[in-house]
Amino acid sequence: MKCGIEIHQRLATEKKLFCGCSAQPSEEKPIATVERMQRAVAGELGDVDLAALHEYSRGRKYRYQIFPQSTCLVELDEEPPHSMNGEALEIAVEVCLLLNSKVVDEVEVMRKTVIDGSNTSGFQRTSIIGLGGFIETSKGRVGIQAVCLEEESSGIVGEKAGEITYRLDRLGIPLVEIATSPDIKDAKHAREVAEKLGMILRATGKVQRGIGTIRQDINISVPEGARVEVKGAQELGLIETIVDKEVRRQEKLVKIKGELEKRFGKKKFGKPAMVEVTEIFKNSASKLLRKECVLAMKLEKFAGLLGEELYENRRLGTEFSDYAVAKAGVGGIIHSDEKLEKYPITGEELSRLREKIGAGAQDAFVLVAGDGKTCERALEGVYERTLQAFEGPQNEVRRVLADGGTAYMRPMPGSARLYPETDVPPIGISEEFIEEIRGRLSEMPEERKKKLLKVLNEELAEKIMLSENYPLFEKVVGELKVEPKFVATTLEETLVSLRREGVPVEKLNENKLMELFIEYKCGKFVKAAIPEILRYISKNAGESISSAVEKLKLEKMSPVELKQIVKEKRKSGKVGKALIQDIMREHRLRVDAEELSKIVEVYP
Amino acid sequence: MYSKEIQKKLKDLGVEIGDSVRVKRGDQVHEGILMPKQELGDPDAIVIKLSNGYSLGLKFKGSELEKLQGHKGIGFKSSEEKTKRIAGKPLISIISTGGTVASRVDYATGGVDASYRTSDIVKTVPELGEFNIDSKFLFEIMSENMTPEHWKEMARAVYKELKTDTKGVIVTHGTDTMHFSSAALSFMLRDLNKPVVFTGSQRSSDRGSSDSFINMICSANFASKGDVAEVSLVMHGSSNDDFCYAHRGTKVRKLHTSKRDAFKSVNDEPLAKIFPDGRIEMTNGNYRKRCDGEVSLDDKLEEKVALIKTYPGMEPGIFDFYIGKKFKGFVIEGTGLGHVPTIEGHSVISRIREATKAGIPVCITSQCLFGRVHDFVYANLRKEFEAGAMFCGDMLPEVAYVKLMHVLAHSKDLEEIKKMMLTNVAGELNERTPVLE
Repeated sequence: MKCGIEIHQRLATEKKLFCGCSAQPSEEKPIATVERMQRAVAGELGDVDLAALHEYSRGRKYRYQIFPQSTCLVELDEEPPHSMNGEALEIAVEVCLLLNSKVVDEVEVMRKTVIDGSNTSGFQRTSIIGLGGFIETSKGRVGIQAVCLEEESSGIVGEKAGEITYRLDRLGIPLVEIATSPDIKDAKHAREVAEKLGMILRATGKVQRGIGTIRQDINISVPEGARVEVKGAQELGLIETIVDKEVRRQEKLVKIKGELEKRFGKKKFGKPAMVEVTEIFKNSASKLLRKECVLAMKLEKFAGLLGEELYENRRLGTEFSDYAVAKAGVGGIIHSDEKLEKYPITGEELSRLREKIGAGAQDAFVLVAGDGKTCERALEGVYERTLQAFEGPQNEVRRVLADGGTAYMRPMPGSARLYPETDVPPIGISEEFIEEIRGRLSEMPEERKKKLLKVLNEELAEKIMLSENYPLFEKVVGELKVEPKFVATTLEETLVSLRREGVPVEKLNENKLMELFIEYKCGKFVKAAIPEILRYISKNAGESISSAVEKLKLEKMSPVELKQIVKEKRKSGKVGKALIQDIMREHRLRVDAEELSKIVEVYP
Repeated sequence: MYSKEIQKKLKDLGVEIGDSVRVKRGDQVHEGILMPKQELGDPDAIVIKLSNGYSLGLKFKGSELEKLQGHKGIGFKSSEEKTKRIAGKPLISIISTGGTVASRVDYATGGVDASYRTSDIVKTVPELGEFNIDSKFLFEIMSENMTPEHWKEMARAVYKELKTDTKGVIVTHGTDTMHFSSAALSFMLRDLNKPVVFTGSQRSSDRGSSDSFINMICSANFASKGDVAEVSLVMHGSSNDDFCYAHRGTKVRKLHTSKRDAFKSVNDEPLAKIFPDGRIEMTNGNYRKRCDGEVSLDDKLEEKVALIKTYPGMEPGIFDFYIGKKFKGFVIEGTGLGHVPTIEGHSVISRIREATKAGIPVCITSQCLFGRVHDFVYANLRKEFEAGAMFCGDMLPEVAYVKLMHVLAHSKDLEEIKKMMLTNVAGELNERTPVLE
C-alpha cells in the first residue's frame, strides 16, 4: 500500500489572506445573498481541466451568503485581491521550518480551478511556501512534499434542486496545507502522522481550533490499484477506518477486474441500449418507479457482480450508483443484485423487464426513474463506471462518509488546474526574513513536553503544551515567576470547569488573565479566590480585577488581621491543626493556608 | 523578463520558455516547465511549473540548470475559425476590439491582456450556438488606450456589418471607456435600423466566474431580437448572474471600478432587461424602433477638444495651455449645477469669455453626473452664462465631449454649434429628468 496525507489547517490570523475581512468565522446572521453561475474554462496550458469540466456538466446555480464583518467585494469576486497577508506568510514559513522544509525563494501565487462553486471566483488562490522536509514517527521518517498557503473555501450551507448555498465568512481564511510523501506504512501509522502534524501546528499557537478548522485528505493506492484521494476527514479517529476500507475497496476492485477478464476473455463489452420501460411500472406498487420515465440498461454477463461486497455495506452496485448520483443528481439506481422485493418489484414486473431488455440469467440490469434527460445522464454515468470495472480502481477523488467509507466525488484533477494569479505579484523571501522567524521558532512538541515535565505532572504538561493559552503560560511563569503548576491549573482546569458551568469565560482575554496573575503576585488575593473572581469578571469584563476583588470582599487578609483572628480563636481553646482547620473553614477564600500555619507556628 | 544573466544562460543551453528543465540547488532538485517571468517578479529568480501544476520561484544564483526532453506551448491558443451558417438561426455580427471580455492571462506584463478572440468566446459559451455568427477582429487593445481614431474605425466596421443581412451588431470592448465609444457611435451612425450593442466584462473570460458569458448571451439576444435601433451597452444588471441591462449608449457610465454591475444608466431609465434565457423586458418606452431604413455613416470628428474638471484651487491657466495648443472646444465638468471657480486668482470666467470671443465653444456639464446643469439659479452661474458658456442640460460630461468633437467637425459657427449641442440627436439630452431610485 502507498499512502500519504494532506493536512489543511486554518490559521488564527486577524485578517483573511487577500483582504481586510475578519478571519474569524462569523456568528452573525447573513445580511444578503448573491446568486452566480460558473463554467469550465481553459487553464494556463490551454487544456481544460477534467475535474473542472465534470462539475460544469452538472449545471448548478450557486447562492452565496454575505456577512457584515467577514465579507467584502473580494469574497464576492467583485474586487481584485489585496496583497498577501504578511502574518499568514510568517506562520506558513514557521511551519516550514518546524517541518525541516526548504522555503522557496519567491512565492508564486496560483489560481487552482475549482468549480464546485465553493470559490466565487472559480478558483482557489494557493502557493507553495516550502518544499521537502520530514517528521520523525514511531515507524521512521515520513517525508514532507510541500507546504502551501492557500485560501479556505466557502462553507456549504445546503443544497436543493440544482442550487447550492455557501457562506462567504469562511472564504479566504488563510489555510496551511501540508502534503506528506507516500511514506505511511499502514492505517494506524496514518493516524499517527496526522496527529503529529496536528500537534506541530498547534504548538505554533497560531492556528484556529474547533470543528472544521483542521481537515485531512488521504491519498491511497494498492498494487494494481489507483491513486485515490479521500477528501475531508475531520476526525482523527476515523483515519484508520478510512485507510482500511479504501485498501479493501481497491483490492476487491482488482479481483472483480480479474473476474471480468475471465467472463469476457477477449470479447469487448459493447455499449448497452437504454430501454424505456415506463410502461411496465405504470401501476407499480413502488412509488419510486411510478415516474415520468423509467429507463433500464442491461449489463451483459454482470450477474452477481453488482452485489459483490467491497467492504461492509458497500457493493459494486453502490459504486455504480455513485456515478449516477454525481452525473445526474438522481437519488440512486436500482440494480438486479439487490433484494428487489423491498421496492417492491413483483416477479411479473421483473420477468417483463428482463424480457424487454433481453437480459438472461448471466446478465445484470440497472433501473433509474425520473425525467427522461436525467435518467439518460444517470445511465451514461453507470455505463462509464461499468467500463471502468474492466480496468480496476480509478484515479479519483472520493468523499468521506460517516462510517469511514467513501463515495465517488469527481475525477482526479490534473495539473491544468493551476495557472498564475496575476493580480498578486510574486513575493520574494529573503534569507534574513527566514532567519528572523527561525530565531523565534516555537519548540517542537517533544522538546516542549520535556521542558514542562520538569515543573508539571504529565497530565498537566500535555494539556498546556498544545493549548492556545501556552504563550500566556510562558509569559506568566517567565516574567512574573508565578508557580507553573498553579498557572497551568488555572488556565487549563479552572477555566474549563467554569466554562462547563456556563460562565462566559471566552470574554476573558489574554490581558485580563495577565492582570489576574499580576494582582495575585502582588498578594491582593489567595488562590482559592480565583474561581470566584473569574466568575465575576467574566460577566463584568469592563471591570478591573482589583475592583472585582474589592466588590467581592475577597482581599487577602493582612498578617495583622490574621494574627487577630488566631488570637480570638485561641480563646475558644483551639490549638495546632484544629485551629488552622477551623480558620480555613471560615475564611478559606481570603487566607493562604501556608501563611496561616506559619503564624500559628511563630505565635503559638 | 528574466535578468540578462539568466537570458544568456538559457540561450547558451538552448533552453526556451516552455521547455522541460531540471534545476539543482544544493541538495534540492526540481523538474518542471520553464515559465515566462512576470513583470513584477524578481528577475533573478527562475520560475518553473511543477508536474502538480504549482509554479515555483528559485534564485538562479547557485542553481544548476539542465535541459530535459519535452516542450509545452505556453499560453492560450487563439483560433479564428470560420463557422458554417445554419439555416433558420438568426445572424449576428460580433466585432472584437479587445478589453477584459477578450482577455487572457498575459505572462509578459503579469496582468490580463486582450488576446482572446470572439471565436474563443463562442467556444466557451455554447449558448451562442443558437446564432449564426459573423465574427470580425478589429483591434486588440485595452479601452484606456482607445482614441477618437479608434471610434472612427469602429463606426466604419459596424456600418459595414449593418449593411449586411445581420440582425444586429455586437462590439466587444474594454469597459473603462466603453461609454465613450458607445456615445461616439451614437453620433456617427445616423438613422440606425438595427441594434448596435456594446458589451464587455469585469472579470476576464479565463475564469469560470467571468461575467462575460452572460453578457455575451444577453447581448446576442438583444442584438438579434431586440427592437431597439440604437447604440446600447449591455452589461450585468446586478451582482447576481441573473440578468443584464441594455443602457442607452449616450446615457450610461461606468460607476464602479470592479463590480459586475458597474454600468448604470444616468438621467434615464435603462432600455431593457435581458435574461440569459433570451427573454427581453422593455423598461423604457422611449426608443428608436428597428426599421427597414438606410443607415448612414458620418464619422467626422474634430479631435482638438478638451474635457476639463474644475475643483477647489484649480489653476485656470490650463485653458491657456489648450488654447495655445490650438484646441477648438472645451467641455467643463463643473461642480453641482455646473459651477466653476469665480474667485480672484482661480476664476475661470475670464477664460470662458476669452475662448468664446475667439470662437471656441465652452460647454458646461456637471461632475455630479446625476441631474442637469442650470445657468441661472446662482449669480455665479449667471456670470458663466454671460461669459458665453453653453449649459448642456442633463448630458453626461463624456458624452458632451464626444458630441462637441462631432459638432465641431460640422460647423465653425458658434451660434450653430450651440444649437447643435443643445438639440437632442441620440437620446443624449432629455427634457424631463426621470424620477430614479
